[in-house]
Amino acid sequence: MSDEEKVLEREHVQFDTELRSPEDDLRLPAVVPRDPFPIEPLVPEARQQTRAVGQRATRQDGRLHGLGQTKYIDDMSFPGMLYAKIKRAGIASARIKSIDTSAAEALPGVMAVLTGAEIPVNSFGPSFQDQPVLCADQVFHAGDGVAAVAAVTEQIAEEAINKIVVEYEPLPPIFDPVVAMNDDAPKVHAPDSNIYATKKIRKGDIDKGFAESDHIFEQRFSTQMIEHVSLEPHAAIADWDANGRITIWATIGRITLARADIARTLNMPMSRIRIIGTVVGGNFGGKNEISQEPALALLSKKAGRPVKGVFTRVEEFTSTTTRHPIIMDYKTGVSNDGKIIVRKVRLVLDGGAYCSWSETTLGKACILSPGPYNIENVLAEAFVVYTNKTMTGAMRGFGAPQVCFAYESQMDEIAAKLAIDPLEIRLRNAFHEGSSSPTGQQLHSVVVKESLQVAADRFRWQEPAK
Amino acid sequence: MKRRGRGIACMWYPIGFTVAANPSAATVKVNEDGTAVVLTGTVETGQGSLTVLAQIAAEALGIATDDVHVVSADTDTTPMDTGAIASRTTYVTGNAIALAAEAARDILFNAAAPMLGVKPSQLEAYDRKIQVKGFPQHAVAIGDVAHQSQFVLGQPAIGSASWNPPTVAMDPETGQGKPFSTYVYATQIAEVDVDDETGEVDLLRITAAHDCGTAINPMLVEGQVEGGISMGVGMALQEEMLFREDGIHVNPNLTNYIMPTSLDMPEIDVDIVQGFDPTGPFGAKGVGEPTAVPTAAAIMNAIHDAVGVRITSLPATAEKILMAIKDSREQAQKQISA
Repeated sequence: MSDEEKVLEREHVQFDTELRSPEDDLRLPAVVPRDPFPIEPLVPEARQQTRAVGQRATRQDGRLHGLGQTKYIDDMSFPGMLYAKIKRAGIASARIKSIDTSAAEALPGVMAVLTGAEIPVNSFGPSFQDQPVLCADQVFHAGDGVAAVAAVTEQIAEEAINKIVVEYEPLPPIFDPVVAMNDDAPKVHAPDSNIYATKKIRKGDIDKGFAESDHIFEQRFSTQMIEHVSLEPHAAIADWDANGRITIWATIGRITLARADIARTLNMPMSRIRIIGTVVGGNFGGKNEISQEPALALLSKKAGRPVKGVFTRVEEFTSTTTRHPIIMDYKTGVSNDGKIIVRKVRLVLDGGAYCSWSETTLGKACILSPGPYNIENVLAEAFVVYTNKTMTGAMRGFGAPQVCFAYESQMDEIAAKLAIDPLEIRLRNAFHEGSSSPTGQQLHSVVVKESLQVAADRFRWQEPAK
Repeated sequence: MKRRGRGIACMWYPIGFTVAANPSAATVKVNEDGTAVVLTGTVETGQGSLTVLAQIAAEALGIATDDVHVVSADTDTTPMDTGAIASRTTYVTGNAIALAAEAARDILFNAAAPMLGVKPSQLEAYDRKIQVKGFPQHAVAIGDVAHQSQFVLGQPAIGSASWNPPTVAMDPETGQGKPFSTYVYATQIAEVDVDDETGEVDLLRITAAHDCGTAINPMLVEGQVEGGISMGVGMALQEEMLFREDGIHVNPNLTNYIMPTSLDMPEIDVDIVQGFDPTGPFGAKGVGEPTAVPTAAAIMNAIHDAVGVRITSLPATAEKILMAIKDSREQAQKQISA
């Protein structure tokens, strides 16, 4: 035996060269060991350790993800399963005069066609129930669904929705949220106003604050509409069984709310609805409410078969929620030594065609808009406005990235004008343990100064740029 | 010519819903061999929350992460949960699971007390054992206790609990109140090169220091920070849904809707700020959403530092930056000639 072989034997290294025999545990996938010379760790793997908290434990679902064995909706199939497609409006604002589905129904392979008029309670939404499952009388944005088809293949379903003829009477659309706030602007939903929610935070006396300020900074900031772009699109399978019980497999972040919403739209007791949340291939706020699920359930009821619906990438953009564009007016008064004395904020959120999570976004954006700073005098007002665009809703940060862009940009403007280092001016104003927030809440476990210091040290902020 | 700049941005962000109730309920079952099963109504959305929830249950029961299996997201079998939203899973669902695990653990303590000849209050769960506080050598394997409890005493070790973050309603006129139970804080610093002839931005590095209270799993926190920064980069420099005059979306596809790929990502240095929140499970808060919050602000401040222009509307595309540079040079020219 050569020296090298002896070393290998001593280290219990075995080369895995043989093919797997039937005796091998077949549940384990055939994969080549990652490393032919495994390094034996001195301590057990993080997942095996006690004191579990603080361990860098690898994910319990990591192996399945790594091997491509995680089952998403699109990997699932049931005997006799049909495929659904939804007809999209393609017009931003219009009254529906008629929907003719006869040609689609006549197409061989089409098993069921559904329109908004057949949905028991055709509205849903987490705050206000202003969104139809499928539009019946009016469309509010171009990505609205107006009819749905279930067919034996996706291609037939696609062909069928192209055969559905919808007659529209165009209505004047409105796209600019600022114009939409005017009294004479076309109204998207309500007869009175397009402003559907407001929020106000008032603390101290802003007039007094501005009078006491040495410098006043006034700027307008704006942000864009953004899609979540999850790798996995919105997808679900609905199975209405012969006992009248519905099972829905869905890629959704909130199953408890989803069941309540589906029970409401279908006018069914909750005990007859089962939602199974599958592994979600990215949510970021985009899958926090139902979308096509009630339509799939009704198609399944009509066809007597399970029905799968998977949104295309285009539908992900045009027919699901997005991040709010916000127009942000900031007026801030500071003293000569860089202390913020007063801040006035006005936010206008483009709410799109439906409320979705706009009310929550409005509230969080408004509360957070003054920034993590001790400011005695604050006035923050926020408005969210209907427009005939894709609905805006929950997206990672609920308005916070937008207002952070505004308050931190202005912070640097103030620092530059007063010739104070940007780190220093933040440290002078930042919250500390026990600070009072703009809503008068006494804050605990506050580490904003620590985070500034830690980041600056690691970045080597104090050293001149290379 | 390429000009280098750096920019800093800090933020605060709340955990859970604004005032509104957002409860989580959970059930923890300790098996007869000392492993455990957690039932939760929350959903794994890719962030690794089920692993974190397993770690919380394991910590409360004194066992390892691998000893816990988490069953999630089935309205027929799992308890109610407000879901994977508002950065609330670790904090709210985690608290519910910790309470449920403690309830199951108390049943084990009652079974172990006569085995060890002490009171249940003198016991602790650690290292897969139920042991006497201060006398770790006086211990029984947790599996033996679970077996004794279920098959001899007839008391299966199962616990259920729920938790909802405490809030105080906001005054409708002034907004004064306690809308959230707790907040997290973070700072990100970006370094960029901006080409002042083309307006193009090279994002070189981002240093991120994030607070999440106790980091239940530091590796997953780092993963969240890196993912959040990628969304922040898209918001800062690239992503924008554009509409025609008649409201039809112009770029509803990934060829025209530009978003960051791995090639657009800067070098990222993540630090977890030491913190402990007494209201969270083992001191934890949350980290999901805040990671995407300060990135765009830091990058805009870095662009300003590099070429002296303030971008006030996102995204800061090369065209927008170049236009701003030209405007600022014309302004300077006018001032000189005046």
